Amino acid sequence: MDEDILTTLKLLIIGESGVGKSSLLLRFTEDNFDPEQTLTIGVDFKTKRLSIDDNTVKLAIWDTAGQERFRSLTPSYYRDAQGAVLVFDVSSYSTFAKLEKWLLELDTYSTKSNIVKMIVGNKIDVDNREVSREEAMKFARRHQTLYIEASAKTKDGVQCAFEELVHKIIQTPLWESYADNGLQIGNKDHPAESSCGYCTLS
Amino acid sequence: MADVLTETVQPEDLKRFEKIYHEQLYRNDVTPKAQFEYGWCLVRSKYSADIKKGIILLEELYRTHEEGQRDYLYYLAIGNARLKEYSKALSYVRSFLSIEPGNQQVINLHQTIKKKMEKEGLVGMAMAGGVVLAVGAIVGFGMAIASKVKS
Repeated sequence: MDEDILTTLKLLIIGESGVGKSSLLLRFTEDNFDPEQTLTIGVDFKTKRLSIDDNTVKLAIWDTAGQERFRSLTPSYYRDAQGAVLVFDVSSYSTFAKLEKWLLELDTYSTKSNIVKMIVGNKIDVDNREVSREEAMKFARRHQTLYIEASAKTKDGVQCAFEELVHKIIQTPLWESYADNGLQIGNKDHPAESSCGYCTLS
Repeated sequence: MADVLTETVQPEDLKRFEKIYHEQLYRNDVTPKAQFEYGWCLVRSKYSADIKKGIILLEELYRTHEEGQRDYLYYLAIGNARLKEYSKALSYVRSFLSIEPGNQQVINLHQTIKKKMEKEGLVGMAMAGGVVLAVGAIVGFGMAIASKVKS
């Protein structure tokens, strides 16, 4: 049954409380949206098969609670993750400002030095936007992470965010770190100007 | 692959939160935070004695600390499911869902527990079948000896 699966990848989703981590995951895994999404308790877990570049990978996604009360234990789930989705709410500047702290925490607790990071600016459907696309992209570039804007509510960018992240993980050679390899900028098969408008390392 | 019922706590985490809890216990001043963190580690332990201890801590919190009740219910369900105390686990899930019927995380937990029960139900039947065969073999062997002795 699992013969066609290339590998299982561990991903995690982190970010402030209420930015839409669980909503992004629910949209991605079940193509669903719950306007009354409740606060995650501790850590939730979902799997999803994803076909990418003619391969099928299984994703094991750990969705962490953003609430302060769980912070002392959630980092233990960072272990062995190959990819991380860092979520902020484009209509709340403070959630964007906290990304620096989340990146630092990721660097402290993740055990893989070449963990691929993707920043997702969620809730682009709302009117009162506080973080511009330019500012977020600049931040992502400075921290060498991918960047995508999305809305779990309208579906925009959600599938693309996970696909991009997985694509990048598969591309990342296991035997070399980014430092030895130099930074690969969106290769020819996959130009940076994709329909998703993501931002690669630069 | 690990899921919420099979992933286990890192021993160093368990030790770290055990130490904090015991320090507070020694001073007779245990905060709900320390008790919850230690309980959360314990119910994710490999050892059933730890899980049982975690359940006791979480049950106590559930009675005394209203603010975190949904968290305690969730981990009580997980702890009991890990001990294969499925009826208890499901009753915690049900009381959670009676308050928050649409909670995806708990609905998922419910399904994960059900799946685990189904899987173990089959395993249980297979084992019972094996026992019948073994008993049959022993009886047969005994009879063979008896007939030999007679002759």
